[in-house]
Amino acid sequence: MKITKPLTERLVTTPGNGATEPVPMTPPTPGGAVQHEIMADGVCVLTFDCPGSSANVFNESVLHELDEHLGIIERDERVRSLVLRSAKKSIFIAGADLHALSTSVEAPADTPSPGLADFIELGQRVFSHLAAFKIPTVAAIHGACVGGGMELALACDYRLASPDKVTKLGFPETQLGILPAWGGCTRLPKLVGLPTALNLILKGKPVQARKALKLGLIHGTAPKERLLELARQWIRRGKRLASRKLPVLLTNHVVAARVIQPYLRTRLMRDTYGHYPAVLKALEVTCQGVGLPEHASLKNERDAILLLANTEPCHNLMRLFFLQERAKKVQAATGFSLRPAPAAAAGTKRAASLVQECPMKQAAVIGAGVMGAGIAHWLSSRKLPVLLRDLNPKAVGRGMTAIHNNYEDAVKRHILTRTEARAGYDRIFPITHEGSLKNVDLVIEAAVERMDLKKDLFFKLAMETGPDTILATNTSALSVSEIAEATRSPERVVGIHFFNPVHRMQLVEVVVGHHTDPEVLERTVRFVQQIGKLPVVVSDSPGFLVNRILMPYLMEATELFTGGAAIEDIDGAMLEFGMPMGPLRLVDEVSIDVAHHVAETLALHFADRMSTPTVLKSLLAAGLLGKKSEHGFYRHELKTPEPNEAIKMFQSPGRASRLSRLDMQRRMVLLMINEAARCLEEEVVTAPEDVDFAMVMGSGFAPFRGGPLRYADSVGLSRVVHELQQEVDMGDAYFTPCSLLRRKAQNQETFYPQKGVVV
Amino acid sequence: MNTQLLAIVDGIRTPFRKAGTDFAKLGADELGRIAVNALLARTGLDPALVDEVIFGCVAQPADAANVARVIALRSGIPESVPALTVHRNCASGMEAVTQAYEHMMAGRGEVFIVGGTESMSQVPLLFPSSAGDKFARFNKAKSLPQKMQALLDFRPHDFNPRVGLLLGLTDPVCGMNMGQTAEVLARELGVSREEQDAFAVESHKKALEAATRLAEEITPVYLPGESPVVNDNGPRTDQSPEVLAKLRPVFERHTGTVTAGNSSQITDGAVALLVMSGEMAEELGYEPLGYLKAYAYSGCDPERMGLGPVLAMDRLEESTGMNLENADLVEVNEAFAAQVLGVLKAVKSEKFSRKVLGRRTPLGEIPLDRLNVNGGAIALGHPVGATGARLILTALKELERRQAKNALVSLCVGGGQGGAVWLERSI
Repeated sequence: MKITKPLTERLVTTPGNGATEPVPMTPPTPGGAVQHEIMADGVCVLTFDCPGSSANVFNESVLHELDEHLGIIERDERVRSLVLRSAKKSIFIAGADLHALSTSVEAPADTPSPGLADFIELGQRVFSHLAAFKIPTVAAIHGACVGGGMELALACDYRLASPDKVTKLGFPETQLGILPAWGGCTRLPKLVGLPTALNLILKGKPVQARKALKLGLIHGTAPKERLLELARQWIRRGKRLASRKLPVLLTNHVVAARVIQPYLRTRLMRDTYGHYPAVLKALEVTCQGVGLPEHASLKNERDAILLLANTEPCHNLMRLFFLQERAKKVQAATGFSLRPAPAAAAGTKRAASLVQECPMKQAAVIGAGVMGAGIAHWLSSRKLPVLLRDLNPKAVGRGMTAIHNNYEDAVKRHILTRTEARAGYDRIFPITHEGSLKNVDLVIEAAVERMDLKKDLFFKLAMETGPDTILATNTSALSVSEIAEATRSPERVVGIHFFNPVHRMQLVEVVVGHHTDPEVLERTVRFVQQIGKLPVVVSDSPGFLVNRILMPYLMEATELFTGGAAIEDIDGAMLEFGMPMGPLRLVDEVSIDVAHHVAETLALHFADRMSTPTVLKSLLAAGLLGKKSEHGFYRHELKTPEPNEAIKMFQSPGRASRLSRLDMQRRMVLLMINEAARCLEEEVVTAPEDVDFAMVMGSGFAPFRGGPLRYADSVGLSRVVHELQQEVDMGDAYFTPCSLLRRKAQNQETFYPQKGVVV
Repeated sequence: MNTQLLAIVDGIRTPFRKAGTDFAKLGADELGRIAVNALLARTGLDPALVDEVIFGCVAQPADAANVARVIALRSGIPESVPALTVHRNCASGMEAVTQAYEHMMAGRGEVFIVGGTESMSQVPLLFPSSAGDKFARFNKAKSLPQKMQALLDFRPHDFNPRVGLLLGLTDPVCGMNMGQTAEVLARELGVSREEQDAFAVESHKKALEAATRLAEEITPVYLPGESPVVNDNGPRTDQSPEVLAKLRPVFERHTGTVTAGNSSQITDGAVALLVMSGEMAEELGYEPLGYLKAYAYSGCDPERMGLGPVLAMDRLEESTGMNLENADLVEVNEAFAAQVLGVLKAVKSEKFSRKVLGRRTPLGEIPLDRLNVNGGAIALGHPVGATGARLILTALKELERRQAKNALVSLCVGGGQGGAVWLERSI
């Protein structure tokens, strides 16, 4: 790689002593991602500014460019110290370019890709170059400083950061199935001690500047305009010596590492069932690095990432990351494949301008129940004023209490300050019948799931609101089109399906009714992005996407229970598969009555393969509603819920009691795959990525498996069909494989075109 | 449409709750915010249209200086909209309305959110100034011995709190407590204890009967984890002359007549009104509750502040030519039963008119069936900064119910003032 433009290098002479004067920035060199300038006092400021992007990332060319700059700076005798900074508004350096990484990943299976090895070694070499500088070096961090960015900062003597909300520091590598391989695993323990280092690397959760200071990750904070000034103060101390802090010295020791490593390994195996090799590998490399010379530890990092990059979990996690990024930006019309749009309504021009002028300024939520309150809370926390309406003060009051508790919780978890929480709560306008909806851009209905009530409600809502107001229903199973037909303006009606709990679940299903205007859809997708959720556009069919795929799985879990299987075995089977929560526990969480309602609705439409599980009816009749009534499949009044022994009377032991955990796991997963394939077949969504993305984000489907369809691909579709057929032969007709699966198996096709990360 | 009139488009208030009960933990800013929040929700007004926010508040909270600004920002009124807090003691809520009128007349805006808010629960206890000096010395002390020495200087009496509420209700000029000024009226105008108690019983009775009517002007207040607060808790069902007779006088131990039972209650609450020029109301398609037609404030003897309404009414008659006979409804704020009864006597007294008002004939008579028809502050409570706006809101809603035209609303003001406004229902 050659640098295409000459480096700008300029001696800035400032009047006076120069040392503390603010210095004008060099005009960015067009084409270059890195520039440097030398101040009168010998401070060299190196600025990252990748052209044509709001982010700085490391790819091969940027690394080469940086290396050349470092070489020039090193040889320049005027330079007494080096400060690294970014010209971007909210990003210091966002790490390695994942696209560069993922293309390197796509080498033939099981052989370390030479491209990736070069890329890793290059980064290690450049950062080591920086670390070996004889002059003091400072990273002046404003904005996200993660992954490779953080590793660059680690190669400096000092790290200073702005106490801004956008400034986040951390190592998210393990979340993508890899590990910090540009010296992160090697250098971090030396700075903060082994336990803190492992905490940052294994959890992959970035921290804010204040926390980073406490952890010893950075040396000081100053507002972004004053970072350079603070850097000068630190430069005066000269090169940084190795940490002499007692906790660092004590834990950064081979003996300590020998104790910590097996202990953490056991805990990780227990929590993740070994499904995430990157975490285990990162633990190993980091702990071993403590006793090794730097070059040996760096080699360990390199070997580890080359190994990990070829694993299925890494490919799947990367793909999901890209899908997430896509969902944040995508436009409904272009990004999501939809059925042919209904004939464009008149007035499309006006609506088009509305799409332009987004964002929504005020919303209304009808119904202050669990979902209504959860939605209102979320919108208000994203700075949107929300009218929260219910039939009477009592109902509104319950919702307000729930919202208040959500905010209190956020304060306790340090997600929001007390002032921010109060401002959010202030944005809720609680009303009963007397409120006016005429200024509202969007109404989200989250009332009782009864078609007659909803029709009546939407008929009125259409008249109470302005002609451009979007009317959305949060129904989880009823037909959006049927609701729309009850109004005088069905083109404004759309589905916005949030998942419970709203503030935790990132996915939102945007449901297109038969009459939904394309512009309304476009604005709705934008709205979902505006509030920081991830939209997936689905067609109006029973259960939409996530619930529809989830229900056969949950029903099977309850049937297995009825058939005599133990609760801990059923849930255990799926935890071992990689689900965050067992199916019966999940039923308790969503509550038995809601699960029953969804099951009934789906059973009505898909009578050939679904029926309402009898045990749900029995539990409902016995008043056992799950978590909200403290008793269901589990006893939730205990600190860690335990299986409810009292409901054994609803069991009538049969074949299920003889199934192994693996057998049960297979049955439950097969049903999910089959239903997921059906959704694709019926074009609820058109791309397998949409199904998988929605299932991971909306139901927590084991992320490292990539989603049900990706998992089916990895198992092999002919085997999937064969196993389904086996269950049919055993007498369970509801396992009949759908025609798409059968066809693809026959033609030896897969859902995804090829192996590796394809987006 | 006459632009000389200020249209009062709509209004809403929190329930009035006795100090130390449900709203004890809510500051004046929070109460005001809740009222404005409800006002915006029910009127559907685009907050960007507001030209200014004006709120009355007497005991302005130490942690929310210029409480009107705090209320405005917390209610989602744009940052560019200015806000000011006004203080005319018990008439602060009325002052907010009349200031909006003045700003409109001066061409300084057309749409205003006004009102009054008061948390009498949260009026702070104050350290005496002697303690303040010693705290300052302690803070300045550098070394440990110096700090110890500074600590040793404290004496028990330094920690005797001065009750802010009591200070606020005491006239610093004449040195009398408000209750004592009521005793002056009772003595000089010959208002007996029995008359006062009977008046108080009547106020409670009227307020209780009006509960559903008053509900029309109340927005529920949602306190986390509790059931919504939807009504006033001042009116008592067990009030009778016999019960009230048992209470001991508060301000003159042995021979006094003013008791806790025949005085207004100490209460938390807030009121918010949307007011604008008549033209603007028409443009935005609002049907106003009514209009502010004229108003007057007048000073009087601080020791007889309770007669302030009479002087204000006199001044108002002078400027409008309208007299008591034109009033379909009259509100005289019930600071004390003795004081309202004093007003009733003074308006028809020839001697008072001659000597104090300098007029030949008395103002007239206030018929009891038009006076405070939905009860008054004795039953509903008197959150001082909010009451003025509450009286205007209650009177306008009652005019509507009665299909009547004019209301005269007045209050006495601590420190020796009176305020009175003429309201006219849109017809």
